[in-house]
Amino acid sequence: MWGRALGLVIGLVFGAILCWSGMISPVVIREALLFEDSYLFLFFTSAVATAALGQLVVRRVMRSALLTDGPVAWSFERPKRRHIVGSAIFGLGWGVANACPGPIAAQVGQGIWWAVFTLTGVIVGVRLFLRRSELGETEPPSERAVTATPRTAAAAGR
Amino acid sequence: MRHAQLAWYIAGPALGLCVVACRALFNARLGVTGGFSELIGKLGRGSFSFDWRGWFAIGLFLAGTIFALIAGTQTFDGYGWLTETFTGSERALIAPVLLAAGVAIGYGAKLSGGCTSGNGLSGVSVLSPAALAATATFFATAIVVSFVTKAVI
Repeated sequence: MWGRALGLVIGLVFGAILCWSGMISPVVIREALLFEDSYLFLFFTSAVATAALGQLVVRRVMRSALLTDGPVAWSFERPKRRHIVGSAIFGLGWGVANACPGPIAAQVGQGIWWAVFTLTGVIVGVRLFLRRSELGETEPPSERAVTATPRTAAAAGR
Repeated sequence: MRHAQLAWYIAGPALGLCVVACRALFNARLGVTGGFSELIGKLGRGSFSFDWRGWFAIGLFLAGTIFALIAGTQTFDGYGWLTETFTGSERALIAPVLLAAGVAIGYGAKLSGGCTSGNGLSGVSVLSPAALAATATFFATAIVVSFVTKAVI
């Protein structure tokens, strides 16, 4: 219950910042990507720096997160093909629409009707991925190789 | 923009604190695509019992509505370079272009494990190598796409 309510509150704050900073405006994003305006990069860098410092403090000070058990920690994932390919596909869409998922949600909330098309596309894209995942088609080749190894080893052992 | 722009040195750190809040509360990464995925997955099964990620995403929609009501205006007119470039009878092109871009955004973000918030903001802030690679890739791609479309169209 608390988790859901606080998730909603964080969403409200996050969305309000995206609106007030102009990050939901495709013109503002376009100007940044064409290096005509530095706002996005200053905004993004200061957000990352604050998040980095804040999380280091949280990890040091808190024995566990407030709503979950276990120590505050995060894992380091190595870059795989899917990170690069997926982000290239994402960047293509972002470069054309000049809106990413957070801003798209806030745009629809503001009643900007062009955003309904963008949001519909995002829903289709996410559903497409979820359906392919269920079929196991998007399993990265590296992981497939790992799961195949024990079987080969077992066969060799026999 | 139709209203004042909050200074970056206030807006940026405030956004970063949202990431810190998710870490302190849930020991989890803040990610908008994760929230979308939660809503889409649950609704697809006829369920409305969303976890905090789903409610986070709902908050983003509501924030837009509340912000526009308080500001007394939407943040912008049209839809960026698309509505500036394609006018008159060419306007019909914009809807399919936005749909296709949306599919790329949704599918690409899921494949790479995050969007500008999950990989770009949260992932980079804990120096995750995968998130760093993803963020460099989507920024580079979007920058190239912007310069190419500016030059060609």
